[in-house]
Amino acid sequence: MSGYGRGRRWAVLAALVAGLCALPAVVAALPADDADVPATALRDAVLASAGVGFSGYAVSAGGLTLPVSDQLPAVADLLSDRVQLRVWWRGEDEHRVDVVTAAGETGVHVDPAGTWTWEFESATAERTGPAPLALPAPPDLVPAALGRRLLSEAADDELSRIGARRVAGRDALGLRLVPAAPAASVARVDVWADAATGLPLAVQVVADGASVPALDTRFLDLDPTPPPAAVVAFTPPDGARVRPGRDAGGLLAEADRRLTAVPLPAELAGLPRRTLAGAPSSVGVYGRGVTLLAVAPVPARLARGLQAAVRASPDALVDRRGVRLAAGPLGLMLVERPGRGTYVLTGTVTLDALAEAAGQVPGGAP
Amino acid sequence: MIGTELRKTFGRPRTWVTIAVLNALPVLVAVLLRLTDLAPRPGEGPPFLSAVLTNGALFPLAALAIVLPLFLPIAVAVVSGDAVAGEAQAGTLRYLLARPVGRTRLLVAKLVAVMAFVLVTVVVVALVGYAVGSVLFEARPAAGTSVSGTSLTTEELAGRTLLAIGYVAVSMLGVAAFGLFFSTLTDSPLAAALGALAVLVTSSLLFTLDAASPIAPYLPTRYWLAFVDLFRDPVLWRDVVRGLALQGVYVGVLLTAAWANFTTKDVTS
Repeated sequence: MSGYGRGRRWAVLAALVAGLCALPAVVAALPADDADVPATALRDAVLASAGVGFSGYAVSAGGLTLPVSDQLPAVADLLSDRVQLRVWWRGEDEHRVDVVTAAGETGVHVDPAGTWTWEFESATAERTGPAPLALPAPPDLVPAALGRRLLSEAADDELSRIGARRVAGRDALGLRLVPAAPAASVARVDVWADAATGLPLAVQVVADGASVPALDTRFLDLDPTPPPAAVVAFTPPDGARVRPGRDAGGLLAEADRRLTAVPLPAELAGLPRRTLAGAPSSVGVYGRGVTLLAVAPVPARLARGLQAAVRASPDALVDRRGVRLAAGPLGLMLVERPGRGTYVLTGTVTLDALAEAAGQVPGGAP
Repeated sequence: MIGTELRKTFGRPRTWVTIAVLNALPVLVAVLLRLTDLAPRPGEGPPFLSAVLTNGALFPLAALAIVLPLFLPIAVAVVSGDAVAGEAQAGTLRYLLARPVGRTRLLVAKLVAVMAFVLVTVVVVALVGYAVGSVLFEARPAAGTSVSGTSLTTEELAGRTLLAIGYVAVSMLGVAAFGLFFSTLTDSPLAAALGALAVLVTSSLLFTLDAASPIAPYLPTRYWLAFVDLFRDPVLWRDVVRGLALQGVYVGVLLTAAWANFTTKDVTS
């Protein structure tokens, strides 16, 4: 009798544990409702979602080991680590994105007149004005913003539908972008957009030849209602150190004055030259969509630092054209022109395309 | 029976010695900070410790963060591991069960006593932390700053500190449940406590491994530090809720396992 009762009790326990263990798998296997939406229509819905207000919690996992981590630690961390983001979005020029860490937080509060960046650990609030170009910041990793940016210049024939899945408990329609340019180092970009609002809920960027995404960012929670303005706004608290942030606009103007403009060709590695608002005139930008290449002359001091950082990597390729390195889909090449300074070529193009472009810039070895 | 177990737990000098030893570390840290004025650099060391030099009112939280990773779980593992195995080792379990009470009730009474120990310990650490913080540092109880950079009123800060104390206490329930379960498996309190600690060390180690990320949400220590989320603005409930639910699952499963094992166990000592 006792043995029977004992067996029954352990059976109850086994059933309880089995049920609990199966629960996550059952929730994950809940089917998503797909909708018969063509790829181009889905892209248009994504691009039209810029005005949708929402709040949510997202996680971004980056696998880009940038060789310039000494100069740009914040950018390198953002693209190489797992980053947890709390997002309140009222619009492109009014949102708040907090990078949440176990013991602290960095909050980026964007308003039409500029950006407050709050860092809890140092109790510092930095104010920067609006700039046409800026380094990657936490808001750039929000799936909604990143998905719209990556699809903004996608051509119709580069897009296809890839079914549907559940993201953040919502039905998300899949859209795949495969760049057409032969120089592209991005194999594909998968965007999962909310069926109801068009908001991108998850984005995966996979580099050419890679099996895991170089960047994977997704919402875990999403509330598609606009958050109150009071949550997004920021006023430095008492006792905080308040200081002006780095003036990106001034830096760009300074770069424009100091760098010597070099006549760059109209096409590099098969990519046509384009204009980019805010870029200094000495910097050449080529390509479209997710296949972009930038060419810039760099001052000797910066060039030496970059050379050292790139050459220190065991993956660096060195030949007569220069030294080049790939970090996921991001390529970087330094081309020394005897007596005429150094070029840096960087972008989402293959190392072969970088080498080809290096031979086409004025003064580069053919 | 619960009253008897509570009296037994809090009547033992070693319970209070454990609590005193547990408070020694935060007090030592506070004295060293006061003497050297060398707070950990922002982002390093236990949460809230870097902010203590400017606001002593935050020291209860820093004190909890100091004891949370190791000292507190060790104390809970020792006390819970002793719950049943200690009686068996001392030869008193037989006599305890000779009374007309069910074994299930005894198990529940033991768990309640361990839970009371956890709660008293956490509250004492917070109170000693507040006293030490107020005496050694400049306390600014008028207002505080949330992790998100917004101002918190005294009431908000006090309310969130109380929630944090409650959350840390609940976080220890998983350890207590492991200790209690192992305590029904063996007659050695040391083996039961070490078993519970082995689970915690394994959990803490796996949590740092990327390869273990698929199972990370189910590790018993995964959400321990989520009490920091109570000081964000708005409060980030996500991990707090998950932490509470996870501890509930561990307590439920392990208590069921302890019950399944203990109710028909041959008690010879």
